[in-house]
This record gives sequence, structure tokens and C-alpha cells, in this order.
Amino acid sequence: MGVRGGCTLLALGAALTACAWLLGSAAAAGEPGTAGMRRRRRLHQEDGISFEYHRYPELREALVSVWLQCPSVSRIYTVGRSFEGRELLVIELSDNPGEHEAGEPEFKYIGNMHGNEAVGRELLIFLAQYLCNEYQKGNETIINLIHNTRIHIMPSLNPDGFEKAASQPGELKDWFVGRSNAQGIDLNRNFPDLDRIVYINEREGGPNNHLLKNMKKIVDQNTKLAPETKAVIHWIMDIPFVLSANLHGGDLVANYPYDETRSGSAHEYSPCPDDATFQSLARGYSSFNPAMSDPNRPPCRKNDDDSSFVDGTTNGGAWYSVPGGMQDFNYLSSNCFEITVELSCDKFPPEETLKSYWEDNKNSLINYLEQIHRGVKGFVRDLQGKPIANATISVEGIDHDITTAKDGDYWRLLVPGNYKLTASAPGYLAITKKVAVPYSPAVGVDFELESLSERKEEEKEELMEWWKMMSETLNF
Amino acid sequence: MGLLRMGTMIHVLVLVLSQIYAFPKPEGIQDKSLHNRELSVERPLKEQIAEAEKDQILKTAPPENKAGERNYSSDNLNLLKAIGEKEKKEKERKSIQNSPHKKLIMEEVDSTKNHRLVDDYDSTKSGLENKSQDDPDGLHQLDGTPLTAEDIVQKIATRIYEENDRGVFDKIVSKLLNLGLITESQAYTLEDEVAEVLQKLISKEARNNEEEPDYPSSRTENYAENLPEEMTLKPTIQDGPTNGESDDTVRKTWTMPNTLERRNKLYTEDNFDDLQYFPNFYALLKSIDSEKEAKEKETLITIMKTLIDFVKMMVKYGTISPEEGVSYLENLDATIALQTKNKLDKNATDNKNRFISVPSDKSHEETDSTKEEAAKMEKEYGTQKDSTKDGSNTHQNNEEPEGKTEAYLEAIRKNIEWLKKHDKQGNKEDYDLSKMRDFINQQADIYVEKGILDDEEAETIKRIYSSL
Repeated sequence: MGVRGGCTLLALGAALTACAWLLGSAAAAGEPGTAGMRRRRRLHQEDGISFEYHRYPELREALVSVWLQCPSVSRIYTVGRSFEGRELLVIELSDNPGEHEAGEPEFKYIGNMHGNEAVGRELLIFLAQYLCNEYQKGNETIINLIHNTRIHIMPSLNPDGFEKAASQPGELKDWFVGRSNAQGIDLNRNFPDLDRIVYINEREGGPNNHLLKNMKKIVDQNTKLAPETKAVIHWIMDIPFVLSANLHGGDLVANYPYDETRSGSAHEYSPCPDDATFQSLARGYSSFNPAMSDPNRPPCRKNDDDSSFVDGTTNGGAWYSVPGGMQDFNYLSSNCFEITVELSCDKFPPEETLKSYWEDNKNSLINYLEQIHRGVKGFVRDLQGKPIANATISVEGIDHDITTAKDGDYWRLLVPGNYKLTASAPGYLAITKKVAVPYSPAVGVDFELESLSERKEEEKEELMEWWKMMSETLNF
Repeated sequence: MGLLRMGTMIHVLVLVLSQIYAFPKPEGIQDKSLHNRELSVERPLKEQIAEAEKDQILKTAPPENKAGERNYSSDNLNLLKAIGEKEKKEKERKSIQNSPHKKLIMEEVDSTKNHRLVDDYDSTKSGLENKSQDDPDGLHQLDGTPLTAEDIVQKIATRIYEENDRGVFDKIVSKLLNLGLITESQAYTLEDEVAEVLQKLISKEARNNEEEPDYPSSRTENYAENLPEEMTLKPTIQDGPTNGESDDTVRKTWTMPNTLERRNKLYTEDNFDDLQYFPNFYALLKSIDSEKEAKEKETLITIMKTLIDFVKMMVKYGTISPEEGVSYLENLDATIALQTKNKLDKNATDNKNRFISVPSDKSHEETDSTKEEAAKMEKEYGTQKDSTKDGSNTHQNNEEPEGKTEAYLEAIRKNIEWLKKHDKQGNKEDYDLSKMRDFINQQADIYVEKGILDDEEAETIKRIYSSL
């Protein structure tokens, strides 16, 4: 979230707190201190999901519980440590946890990048529990999702910030305390600014994807990157993510690339080449959240400018320019399409509201997950059937290419329409295919590329045959 | 002009002929000229490739014939020329195709087909080099195969025996250690084995000398010479590499009494005497004198001997000071006394609290006493480590583990329930449970390593699963 009128906010916050007290005083909101939480451990429980704030130990415990309940479809791992040494925990849900299955797309949810934007963190914990519960109950949608997708859930990218924010006494949480990491770095401004590079490339020519060359070197040697940022970059590089969402708070909208304006002005619609696809993806989230997609919803704060919001979605630059954000970094350095979802007008709302936030977002979270199974997907192989990794898949009319992963598998998210897809790789002859893409599910298109040397061989062969035939016929 | 005409005529002739005689046309060529290469239809390329491989004819790429359009009307002449040249070259090549020098004609495309015979020769060449090299360590047999462990032991023992110098062993061991070829524990084991073999050598010699008339004297002589070496093999090995470092007290403690008194006894006998410095243990051994428990006795002796030698080794390599070694062994002896006392007092002593694994066999109590020592030490260090963690969560410590355990128990219960429901086949159920248990145990350990789980939590989880 950006800088907003802090003073008005404080006043509003105070008013809200007063209301909350009047309404929910019986529940004894109080501070989310550790002692208090433990005593109320089992108060708001439903189906094993306890709707309360989880500090770091409770977060870990909650994830472990999910794993213990569903060990055959889940796995916990860590992508690194925060500045203060807390593990950046991820829970993975898939029918073969720990492995990338060829052709199975990878999805991620990241929450709480700003430590004081707490709803995302909690929703993701609830989501993990929900997915496990539903899987065991036989919910077909969930079962199919887990069998056909590899879902990674990181409830908190900034656990240090959260601890700071949560340790504040009283209901009223400051708009800024706990936002940045322990070093005071705003993680959503800390990523390498690839928008600027792509804008230059648009003008002067240059690649339109995978812009960060020598990724590892740059990341490891860059002293300005926070450990959390570095961890995420490595994570993005290691796993061929296809679709992602980055959960925030402070407003109620689904935001999509580009976040940074081309001209540098404060507000400007800055479409990326996949603007149409992103609009559809963002709607895939917002349309299932009644509050977010309510056209008559008043803005979160009286003087907020939500003129750019359409159907609960907005282009990043049109709303306000953000450089160095994680969302655009995903799109421009990897194959992953990421949107930013603002979940709540209040960044750190009272605990009692968590259940209703869950109800509002539950369907959105699931539906957004399903968006990964759209567009075109398949394999690029050579004529011997061996996969070609890092082959390029380009779509005519969309100036953004994606690449195949290690097994030669690719997933190209597209809105319904007719497209020409070209698969190419160095040393191979490109092949173009026409594809008609429905809303869903994804259409399977495989490519078998012929290597240049093979083609040469072939031509020689044909030539020789022709000559042989000629000579036989004409008795040379 | 004339030539060009001829070219076009041939072209026409081909077309005509192809229609009349329906020859197998290389249709691909014609298609290629028409098609835009970018929008290609998949062709049965695999067939063509298979054919190409069957032929195994080395071809050179005609420079003018690139992938692209083929314009027969203008290029025909050049094409024919090129083909003609190629044919000639091919005929040449065919004649030398079967010669052993064909490897010299390398083609990028055909590189996979070539045999790398040269490499084969190289691998054996390196072997020959090894064989011919002088082996100062003597760690290879004459025919070049590396020595097995037994061979090495045999060799060392033989050398010691021949040279009548236990310094040989020291030299070899320190060399091996310096080279990092063996670890200290392996050195110790080696010592054992060498001593054993040496003993066998000595006894073999003795048997050989039995036939001789002056057998008794020579025997004792041999033994007088050899036994002291062997006897002093262990204690004086301390002195070897660590000259002057070992304490006098230790040396004194383990200097063997008069060796002449010994006769042709078993190896274990010597140890027996060695152990006389451990009165309690010695007493215990004496008490086990029945034949039934002979095995147990032997085990005990071996264990004790192992311990003593281990301590000696540690002292020798400076891991612990001699005083520490002595005190450790003295403590050990005292513990044995205590244990024996306890055992006599209460027949069924339950030592579950002390040990990780419950000893079911009485004969293992001696081993347990040393484990106890280790466990004690671990606990000491363990508590030191944990104290920093405990400092931060003093208040919630009581409630936390309960709540957590509850939560984990609940989660595990749900999993088991689901497992049962999911695999309705009766036989599978138990199988899956034990599989699940193993999997969980494994994962729990990994999680502890990665910092995802605490040690306690992992233990809790394992305990819950093992109780199912």
C-alpha cells in the first residue's frame, strides 16, 4: 500500500475501534498478545480452522498441523530466513509433494509482505487448512486442484514486520508500524526494477521476457536486497511458477501489471502485453469477492481516488505508480503471472473480523487457483521425443514470450480467442500452430522441433534419392 | 545456353517420367519449394531419418543447397554439377569406407556414429601405468590389484614379525593417518587386527618349532622376545608418535608385568591381566565362571578391552589428557561396582529413565553403563543449549506444549481416520499405517534439520505415531 493521508486514517481508525468495542466487547478483543491468544485458542473454531491471529509460533504450528493431517498431499519447506532469523515457511499442496510433475503447473500465494497487512497472512493459513479438510471430505473441485496443480502457500514473507505490528498494544494499529522488514526495507519496492528495462526495450528493441540475466550473480552480490527479497527471487528462479497472487491490505481491489508508469507520472494506465489476460485473471479473483466487486461500494477512505477501479480490478500504474514491486518482477524475470490483491480497507483489522474476511475471500482464493488451468499448455520436444528446455513459446500479437521448463513443459495463459503459437529454440526449426482457446480448460498443444542438422540431413537424403532416381531413369 | 536448355529438358523429362512411370518421387523437394517453411505440416520425418541411418554413407553438405527454397529453373545446372562432383567423392569414400582409417573423416552430423576406439585403448593404458609404478607404500599386490584389508593387515603383521620391530606399525599407521586414508578409529581397529595376525604368526611359528628338540627353550625364547613386543604393542604405541607427550602415570599403569611368566595363552588371557587394574570389573568377570556364560564373559572382556584401548588411543592422539583417561576409566570401574551392587540389591532394575533404548539383556548392562556416561554428558550439553531458548518463553511454557500437542494429536487423528476410510481394503490398513509412521518419522527429522520443527515437537509427533 502506498502513502495515504495518515491523519484522517488515525481518526477513522479510532472511530472504527470505538465501534468495534461497542459491537464486540463481549468477545474481549483486547490485544493479540500471546497469553490472550492461547487462552482463546479454541473459541472461534470451525472445522479445525481457528479464526484468530497467528504469531510466528502459532503460524508454524498451524502449518505443521495441516501437514500432519494431510501428509500425503502436503509438505512444508522454507525458502530462507527473514532478517531476524524466522523461517519463510511455505506449505505445498499437491498429489506428489516435493516434486514437479511434468506438465503440472505451479501456483503460489504470498501474503503479509507488508508486515502490518495481516489479513492475507491469516487467509492463507485458513486456506491451507481448508484445502486439507476439503480434500479429505472428498470435495471434487479441491481434489482435482490438488491433483493437477502444485500449490505453494507462503502465509508471510515478512514475519519480522508482522511481529512488530502485532506487538502494538490496543486495537488501533499504526498505518506504518511493521510494514517494512526488520531492516526498514519496504519489500515491495526492493525488487530489481525491470519495468524500466522493458520500457527501454519497447522503444529501442530488446527482449520482452526474462530480463534479468545473470540472475544468481546479481542477486547474491546486490547488497541492497533484503534477505526476504533474495529468498523470493531464488524461489522464483528455482520453480517454474505459472500464476501467483501477492496479498496485501489497505484497500479492496485486484491489481495487475504494470505497476510502474511508462512516463514516470504518478497515475497512468500502463498496460503490459498481456493486459487482456491480466484483466481476466484479476476478475477471476475479484468477481468472487462480493465486497471487492461491488460497484456501489464506497471507497475505503472518503478522499480515496478509486476511479481506476473497474469490476474490482485495476491496472497498477493507473492507480498509482509503484517501482521495484514483486508483481512486475515476476512477469518480467520469469514465466509467472502475478497480481496484487488488496484484501481489506483496514490493514490490521480486529480478530473477530477474520472469519468474515475468510467467508468473503474463500471462493475467490479457490477460483483464482483454478485460473491456472487456462490458455494453452503442452510440451516442446525434439524429434526423438526428448524434451527441449528453455524453448521459447511466442504468441502472435502478444509481445511477451514464455519459456519451457526443464521437462520441456510450458503453460501459456490466454483469454479465449484464436492464436498462432510458435515454438522455437536455438538450433531448431521453429514451428507455428494455430490454436483456438476457450475460457477453460487449457488446450494441449505439443511441438516436435526438428533440429537444423536433422533438416540438413534430410535434405541431403532427399537430394541423393532424387539424383539416384534421375540417374537410373536417364541412364547417366 | 545449350547447357541451360539441357537442364530444363532434364527437368521436364523428370516430370514427365514421374507421371508415366510413377517413380517414387522425392516429393518433399517439390513441396518444400512451394511451402512457406514456417507453416509446415508434420511429415514422416522419422522414416527418412531411419533410412538415412541405414545407409551409413558419409555425406558432405553441398554448400549451395541450404534449407530454403529450391528454384529448379535457375539452379538446376549447378545442382547437377554439384551432384556429379559429390557422386565422385562418394565413390572414393566408399572404397575406403571399410578401411580402419575412416575415423579420420569426421562429420559433425555423423559424429555419433563414429566409434571412439582410441578412448578404449587409453583406459587400459592408465592401468598399465599403475602397474609399472613403484609402490613405496607396498599397498598393492604384485599383479597390480589393490590389496584387500586382510592382505594389508597380513602384510603389516608379517613385516613387524620379520623386522621384530613394532615401530613398523607406528610408521605405517601414522603415514596412513597423515594421508587421510584412515580415521583414528580405523587405526585402532587396524591395531587390533594386526595384533591378532601377529599372534597367529607367533603361534604358527611356535607350532613349527614344536618339532624341534629344543622346543621348550626356543619357545619360551620366542615368546620372551615376541610377547613383550606384542604385549607392549599397545601401550608403547602411545610412545611412538607422541614422544614424551604421554604421561608417566599412564605408562606405569599399563606396563605389563613380567612377560616370561606367560605361556602360550590365548589372546584374551592377556587382556584378562590387563583388566586386573579394574578390580570391580575383574571381580565381576571372575564371578562369571560357568561355561554357560563363557560367551558373556568374552563379550564383557572385549567390551572392556575396547574401551580401554579407545581411551588409550584418545590419549595417544591427544584428544584427552592422560589424567582424564585415567579418571574416566576409574569412574567406569566405580560405576560397574555400583551397578553390580544395584543389580544384586534389586533383581529387576528398570533403567528406562537413563537410557534411550531399554536394555533387555542383562549382559548388556556393562555396555549400558558406558552409554549412561555418554547420556549424562549429552544431557549436560543439551540443557546448556536449550537454556537460551527457554529464556524467551518462560511464561507460556506450561500452556504451549499442551495446546500444541493437542493440536498435533487432533491432526494426526484426522489423518489416520482418513487413511482408514480411504483404503477400505482390510489388509492394506496396517501396512499403510506403518508406512505412514516411517514416512512421518523421516519427514519429522528433515523438518527438524531445516528448522521447521523443534526437537520436542518432532519427538511428540513420533511418540504419538508409535503409540498408534
